[in-house]
Amino acid sequence: MVETQRPGGLATKTGSPGPSRSPATATAAQLIKLVEQGIGLVSDGERADLRKRLDQTLRRLRDPNVRVIVVGEFKQGKSKLINALVNAPVCPVDDDIATSVPTVVRHGDPASAFILLPQADTDPGDDEKPERQPIRINELAAYVSERGNPGNAKKLVAAEVFLPRKVLAGGLTLVDSPGVGGLGSTHTLSTLTALPSADALLLVSDASQEYTEPEIRFLRQAMRITPSVVGVLSKTDLYPEWRRVAELDRGHLAQVSPDIPLYPVSSDLRLEAARLQDTELNAESGFPGLIGHLRKEIVGKAERLQRRSVSQDLLSVTENLRLSLQSELGALEDPEGTPRMIAALEEAKSQADELRKRSARWQITLNDGIGDLIADMEYDLRDRLRRIQREAEAAIDQGDPGPTWTQFSKWLEECAAAAISDTFVWTSERAQWLAAQVAEHFSEDEVALPALRVSDAGDALDPVDDMPGLDDGRINPMQKVLIGMRGSYGGVLMFGLLTGIFGMALINPLSVGAGLLLGRKAYREDKEARLKRRQGEAKALVRRQLDDVTFQVGKQLKDRLRLVQRSTRDHFTEIADEHHRSLADSVTAAQKAASVYRLEKDMRVRQIKEELKKVDAVHHAAELVAAEVAQSSTAVQPEAGPTAEGRTAGMAAAATDSTAGSPTAGSPTAGSPTAGRHSTGPAQAGTAQAVAAGR
Amino acid sequence: MSTSISAGVADLLQDALAVYSDDPVAVASLQAYATRLSEPLRVAVAGMVKAGKSTLLNAIIGEEIAPTDTGECTRIVTWYRYGHTPRITLYPAVGEPRILPFKRVDGRLVFVLGGSRAEDVERLVVEWPSQGLRELTLIDTPGIASLSGDVSARSTEFLTPADAPSEADAIIYLMRHLHASDLRFLESFRDTEAGRSGTVNALAVLSRADEIGAGRIDSLLSAGDIAERYRRDHSLRKLALGVVPVAGLLAQSARSMRQADFESLRLLSGLDRSERERLLLSTDRFIRATVPEGLSAEARASLLERYGLFGIRLGVVLIRSGFDEPTRLAHELARRSGLDPLLDLVARQFQARAEALKARTALVGLENLLRSVPREGAGGLAVGLERVQANAHEFRELRLLATIRTTGIPLSNELAEEAERLIGGWGAAPGIRVGLAPETPPEEILAEARSYLKRWRTVAENPLTDRAALETCRVVTRSCEGIVAEFSALQLQRQ
Repeated sequence: MVETQRPGGLATKTGSPGPSRSPATATAAQLIKLVEQGIGLVSDGERADLRKRLDQTLRRLRDPNVRVIVVGEFKQGKSKLINALVNAPVCPVDDDIATSVPTVVRHGDPASAFILLPQADTDPGDDEKPERQPIRINELAAYVSERGNPGNAKKLVAAEVFLPRKVLAGGLTLVDSPGVGGLGSTHTLSTLTALPSADALLLVSDASQEYTEPEIRFLRQAMRITPSVVGVLSKTDLYPEWRRVAELDRGHLAQVSPDIPLYPVSSDLRLEAARLQDTELNAESGFPGLIGHLRKEIVGKAERLQRRSVSQDLLSVTENLRLSLQSELGALEDPEGTPRMIAALEEAKSQADELRKRSARWQITLNDGIGDLIADMEYDLRDRLRRIQREAEAAIDQGDPGPTWTQFSKWLEECAAAAISDTFVWTSERAQWLAAQVAEHFSEDEVALPALRVSDAGDALDPVDDMPGLDDGRINPMQKVLIGMRGSYGGVLMFGLLTGIFGMALINPLSVGAGLLLGRKAYREDKEARLKRRQGEAKALVRRQLDDVTFQVGKQLKDRLRLVQRSTRDHFTEIADEHHRSLADSVTAAQKAASVYRLEKDMRVRQIKEELKKVDAVHHAAELVAAEVAQSSTAVQPEAGPTAEGRTAGMAAAATDSTAGSPTAGSPTAGSPTAGRHSTGPAQAGTAQAVAAGR
Repeated sequence: MSTSISAGVADLLQDALAVYSDDPVAVASLQAYATRLSEPLRVAVAGMVKAGKSTLLNAIIGEEIAPTDTGECTRIVTWYRYGHTPRITLYPAVGEPRILPFKRVDGRLVFVLGGSRAEDVERLVVEWPSQGLRELTLIDTPGIASLSGDVSARSTEFLTPADAPSEADAIIYLMRHLHASDLRFLESFRDTEAGRSGTVNALAVLSRADEIGAGRIDSLLSAGDIAERYRRDHSLRKLALGVVPVAGLLAQSARSMRQADFESLRLLSGLDRSERERLLLSTDRFIRATVPEGLSAEARASLLERYGLFGIRLGVVLIRSGFDEPTRLAHELARRSGLDPLLDLVARQFQARAEALKARTALVGLENLLRSVPREGAGGLAVGLERVQANAHEFRELRLLATIRTTGIPLSNELAEEAERLIGGWGAAPGIRVGLAPETPPEEILAEARSYLKRWRTVAENPLTDRAALETCRVVTRSCEGIVAEFSALQLQRQ
């Protein structure tokens, strides 16, 4: 209940951010209190739907999760970087043996470790929760390194380590990924597929040399999914010329995107500093700068987003609450105006109802868009793989496939992985664009909740003014979709699946031996015919393999898109439902008010005014939080808003490019249907530029 | 045995010259093949960018002449061959070659290209009076996977041209870790060569081996283990004849150690252990430090640049354990850098079969010519070509070696390994083939070779032996016979 906290006091506490901003944790605690207060308001009434929304908000606030994925070629010191960041030997480090399973390091007390196993019997679909098994922390190497678990033979999805470390307390979650080892490998694919769930990525490269071509190529691709990148130059203790390398690398990064920071660090110095408790050495290791950036920019940015979404949730809940209270109050105080007010409310209600229907424009945009996207994705995947198949068949025709089969299948695997990576990146981009499109259509058609001005009986209904300088928090459903994906581990599963397919039987070059046993028939056969048969066998194998890939990967991607569709739909339907419910409640309240006796009326008016005051207090507090977020985001750096806009603009531009001349251009779903199917290259380039420009 | 191949191929080339006498392009290339036969073996040093190609090349030559740098450095294919007087010649892609001014800074060559851009230069040829180059022409190549794509393309084009035999007879491939691009490159190098002659002629070097263990004193042991693992790695095994770890920087600097370096190292070895460890914690600290007195900032920087943290650590430890004299220290450092095993491997695998490797390049070129520009009267040439290829035992050995390493042969593992050794898979010298130490007296080698010969004849006659293995047996017995014949002749001479 609210009595324990004075509303006014709370508002000043949260709202006035003083000259030096209070540390993030304190703000988080205050936000939690504020949301709890909101929940108190909601529980008084019968609005279970609003309560659900605030409960979710509270859960997110209590367990913040900012995922930073550490990527790079193998043997660049990724695992050691994480160890140095948390000052503990969590990830196994070895001269030779590399990491084979992604390891998630996050905050938790006491220290503990788990491995995640895919559940054997379930479909590799969306909602699958991997099985968790506790292990001892010092046994981690047996599970995550190539030595203990070569090529991830134990088929782990990931390992999780919880550590009571201050650096992780703000929700920072570090993910150690297996090295990418050149683009086109399956590791690269698994890293890319894990990116949509990451808030930022750290690209680790050691100081022995400047960036190589595969590294930059990977970076360009990764940035299309996660634009927030930090370069880390590792092992500066070992190379006297690291400053030169850093300079060269900065030049290369600037060519990719103008504002990627680069932090030269030495993990060894940092670990040594921790051992000796030597602050000077710690400063020399370069880690304070990196940690500062992680805290301020990445966690800070995530926190700002978080705060913004909390304030938006609270604002919308209080608006919903206020509407029915005010309608009732209006009816009590001005009985003559009641019928007009009810009529207007009914009108708004029916409009809100429209929005819930399947025929609403945003629903159509979403359903059509996803349908088209799935079709395009399947076509794209099939097209890419078919090209590989053709190339493979040509290669087989050139000679005996037997002797080179091992290399050949490896080549095939790499090509397929590269093709899937491309399709994946492209699909993610399109999905994001679609979500933005749906949000736009939803907000265009949305009925703004009316505000009742009790004092002025003339115009009963008036749309609520938007908060100046605030973009609508509801416009960003992608945020929510991504939060949904965060737990799904879909990408990692995809990787496991791919190696599963390729670990199939090979053509045995000595299969002639079996022929020998069968009465030397094989030897009597014409050599030519034997070769032909073998080529045929090889082609059939390739075809079957690629068919499997198309089927399985297509299914995975489809599941992913369906997940996007479901989360987006649920997100907006909930909002529409809330509005509908609030309007309906208001109508009932107003009708009820007309039949109330005089004596009761005064008491009720007082009650409502009391209640309204509480709601207003929370509303005001939330407004202040929102204003603060808006202010800090404009002051510090361009926020997610502009980025999303830039991306949308880019996608739109790309879409117009490719649909130019198509008759459907300009329709609500224009651009999304066949857009960019054939002209993926230029369209994607345009997007990348637009994203870069938007940032 | 080997001279006969060279002679056979040279005769064949002369015949071809007669047939193609009216085609200037063909004549030029045929003459080039003919001269190549009498020149030293050409070994290219290749690898990803910054793998340490120029550094290793300096180490092999024993002098610091090739320019090296922290940024990407080698952008032009550069040949280092023996010459009485130092001279640099630039061969542009179009036009006449010209002599470049001879300029050295700190001992290293500086290529003053004058008006030419790196893109327009086909190659630089450096002639240098160094003993190491008498037997071997070394070719420095730009790195693969470079961010400036045309540089990488130049290397690939040079080493694996689409329609001609490679300019290099053999290749030393440097890598820091086994990377997908490394495998892909080695594969394509083998493809162009092996498509027709089926051999393996690359050595893999785990370069910058001192950095693998982050410059710890046991880094090279660690690197040795990794090299051993790569040697057994299925995908690398069939592409490379061997894998050795080399700390290139250390090897290069040890072979040209200066008195000043030694003095600096000795000063450092005077410090007590904990102080030294603190000093060597990072390169920045080492440069900034004020201990030991008497070591100037320039001396520190130069020491670091030439030896790296690992080299300094190792040098100091060696001085303390008794290598307190410049020459001995230099030798010990060179030995520990892993350069000797590499040179040994080069001698065993490349120089020992230099004739066959060179002849093979010429044959591939001739075969290409016959196929692309068919002529009347070339029929005789084709027959001759076929005969040399089929009969030359060295080629059959090389082919079998490739087969054993790629598809395998239908024999027990033990026998297959023995066959690989006997046909010279570990080295072409008779002693190595029969698995005895190099200084074993000839009588013992002869006896051993005889027993192998007997054993393999038995295998060949065994009716249970797979038919596909018979060819293997034939080649192996022939190799054994070769050794027996050679040593019997020696004995006869002595008697």
